[in-house]
Amino acid sequence: MKQAILSTTTLDTPRMPATRVAAVNWSACAAGVAALLCAPLFLGDYYLHAMVLAMIFLLPALGLNLILGYTGMLSLAQGVFFGLGAYASALMSIHFGTPFLVNFIVAGLVAGLVALPLGIPALRLRDTSFVMCTLGMVVIAQMVSKNWIDLTRGDMGLSGVARPRLGFGDWVYTVIKAPEYFYLVLALAALAVAAFVALIRSPAGRCMVAIRDNETLAESLGVPTWTYKLLVFMLSAVFAGLGGSLYAHFSTVVSPLVFQAYYSNTILIIVLGGGVGKVPGAIIGSFVFVAVSEALRITPELRMVIYGFVLLGLVFLFPQGLAPLFQRAAERIAGIGKGPRDVR
Amino acid sequence: MSAESMLRIEGLRKNYGAVAALQGVDIEVRRGEVMGLIGPNGSGKSTLFDCCTGLQRSDAGRVLLKGVDITGWPMNRIAREGRFLRSFQKTVVFPTLDSEENLVLAGQMSRFPNVLSTFWVGPSARKRIQALRERAKELIEVTGLARVAHLPAGHMSGGQQKLLQFASMLMPEPELILLDEPLAGINPVLIEKVIQCIEHANKELGVTFVVIEHNTDVLMNLSHRVVVLHQGAKLADATPEEVVRNPEVIEAYLGG
Amino acid sequence: MSSFLFEQIVNGIITGSVYALVAAGMTMIFGVLRAINFAHGEYYMLGTFAAWWVMSKLMVDYSLAIVAGVAIVSVIAVLIGRSVMQRLIGQPFQAGVLATLGLSLILQNVVILAFGGGYKVFSGGWLEPIELGDFGMSQQRVILVVVTVAVFAGLEWMVRSTRLGRSIRAVSQNIECCQVNGIDVEQVVRRTFLIGVAIAALSGILTGPINVSIYGGMGESITLKTFAVIVMGGMGNVRGTLIAGCLLGVVESLVAGFIGLQYRDSVGFIVLLLMLMFRPHGLFSSKARF
Repeated sequence: MKQAILSTTTLDTPRMPATRVAAVNWSACAAGVAALLCAPLFLGDYYLHAMVLAMIFLLPALGLNLILGYTGMLSLAQGVFFGLGAYASALMSIHFGTPFLVNFIVAGLVAGLVALPLGIPALRLRDTSFVMCTLGMVVIAQMVSKNWIDLTRGDMGLSGVARPRLGFGDWVYTVIKAPEYFYLVLALAALAVAAFVALIRSPAGRCMVAIRDNETLAESLGVPTWTYKLLVFMLSAVFAGLGGSLYAHFSTVVSPLVFQAYYSNTILIIVLGGGVGKVPGAIIGSFVFVAVSEALRITPELRMVIYGFVLLGLVFLFPQGLAPLFQRAAERIAGIGKGPRDVR
Repeated sequence: MSAESMLRIEGLRKNYGAVAALQGVDIEVRRGEVMGLIGPNGSGKSTLFDCCTGLQRSDAGRVLLKGVDITGWPMNRIAREGRFLRSFQKTVVFPTLDSEENLVLAGQMSRFPNVLSTFWVGPSARKRIQALRERAKELIEVTGLARVAHLPAGHMSGGQQKLLQFASMLMPEPELILLDEPLAGINPVLIEKVIQCIEHANKELGVTFVVIEHNTDVLMNLSHRVVVLHQGAKLADATPEEVVRNPEVIEAYLGG
Repeated sequence: MSSFLFEQIVNGIITGSVYALVAAGMTMIFGVLRAINFAHGEYYMLGTFAAWWVMSKLMVDYSLAIVAGVAIVSVIAVLIGRSVMQRLIGQPFQAGVLATLGLSLILQNVVILAFGGGYKVFSGGWLEPIELGDFGMSQQRVILVVVTVAVFAGLEWMVRSTRLGRSIRAVSQNIECCQVNGIDVEQVVRRTFLIGVAIAALSGILTGPINVSIYGGMGESITLKTFAVIVMGGMGNVRGTLIAGCLLGVVESLVAGFIGLQYRDSVGFIVLLLMLMFRPHGLFSSKARF
């Protein structure tokens, strides 16, 4: 495998360094994982909860990094699939009493499958229209969850989602306490990160970056860009749905509030603030923006104000930090022609 | 050079609003030849390329690649299945990837049978990518980009990007390449290099070329045949020697 | 039955004219900046809150509150125009999305932090009904329609007859050309932004008495409905927003009246999605502007 050419902690790098499609700094990883494994020995329940939340949000953030950081599509719909996964898991648990891993996988599948009919028409749209479309999806999700009372019990929400039951035959282990949640979520988050890294190191990952950098050029070299964009849209939905499942089993209550902009915005900030298009970006972001704000008990409103300033700062002060995102737009502005699908 | 038809353009028409960019153009490109395409600005050359390769949809007419009607095929299918590539007038590369990654990407799609297979990195995929990397390294050497190969392509100079773009064309081993002003904006030394690359690809690898170029001296030396476009219509279609002597061509383009 | 229908349509036109007003501002800003102002609804909310605050804390009456509210929001618009909006000139669209999204987060949540997240009662306004044949309509609603027509007429006049209007048209068409020709593009952007936002604030203040209860998060749904209107009307097309806004208002009203009140708000979003899927360049203009 290729050696890392660049450092992966890139929060303050002004330049956008070149990249072999993915580089992993193994020693930093090892140190990080070791620290995490020991965390429950040092941290009390309150802080462990904060970290669990951070790791739960890591999953939809990885999905957003995939679609935004690596494929260059600004989607604000991660919250839709997060909530969808949460509801799917909750419903499975409440109506069928299925064990946690089943609910987890179902949540991912449901989110991915719903993303298909949503993505097909949405991906015909360009730029701003696509963003607006994804916002519209969020609102529709809110409406459906509030009004499909038979399924979702509307604003009352679904409560009584079972604590995660991990079973092998006769032996069943129920996760209740904070450290247990911590290790469960840590394991799953680690798997998600591994899957993410595998994706971006694959030839498909290279295609994603190509689409981000210059879609028309990629198309002219034989990349079926629309197919990749749809698959990436579905994959990022799967990540989000899996995160939603964890959320449902952690908070044991799911209501239409899960579709609030609050969650989508948090996921966006995690990715943008943590380092878009970088391997550890979502990890750093979820730690900084979720764990820290939970631990410091920063109120949701104040958090949103901070996020707002972070967004402004990113756009104006650190444009190179968002360089991969804007590169494609800059190329498009410079113009190498309009494709047949471009006239909308 | 065989008599087999590589690319046949029949009655191609394209309008942009009231402007007729292409007014029923018929061209045949034979396998293994280098065809020059010249004409004043606005004569429809790039539009012709766009319509053949799927970047634009023509309003009328057909494009046949080795006898297969590819009119209306999406651009990526033409590139991948048709093994038919084109370069762009304004040099484009993937700016955040370095040279080797740019080239691997260019060659990648022809090596994998379908989209889903690109997601799984098993041993056979790894072997294919490794083969691509080796070929990429060769091309980097040949084009003299070794010194800047580690930089993100967006940081290379215009001339270097042009060479990289050219090398990208060769990676998937295409049969037909359309070059849109490959010599524009690069210094004389590099011009020599690019010409050598085109000739090598044509003579040793059998690649068919259609080249738009305003550097007519070079183009006349390079081409087996030359087509002249003027205001969206074909003005001449003959050997370079004949075209250079053609009075209509001289008046419209080459200058008296 | 038919007088119920008529009433629904009239109500629809009235709410629609509010949408049209707000959308006119957003579409103008898009015209000069090629950026969608994701925070636009927040200025509507800010206008409402500014007027409310002035009335309840400073004991000012409604007519003065209208002026004060627009003035306060205008000051904010000047600050934001200089610090954020003019820097978006020439930037790729993601910059506009993220920057205005950031602004919406700040504006919305600062208001909630300052005044609390609960509902406030907007007192004031001219609620005396005017008799029009069979049914009565409050004065406030009539004023809304009158103001809408006046604003659109004013915008029309401005675009045709004033220097600013001509500059706006020029910048909307070709921004590079303007920079070369000595038009101060940044100033045009700032002024257009100010006008657009002031109109939104005015709409908020005029709708306050009709909505009665106001809350910090009310801007969000306004923004999304405005998207629907500007997409319907054609992005950058000011006249289109008048028709599109009223159309949306009427459809909403009919859905609320005949299908169910709870579906009223979803009309806008469904319309937005349908428009984006099938007619992204709007109902009227034939060429794609974005």
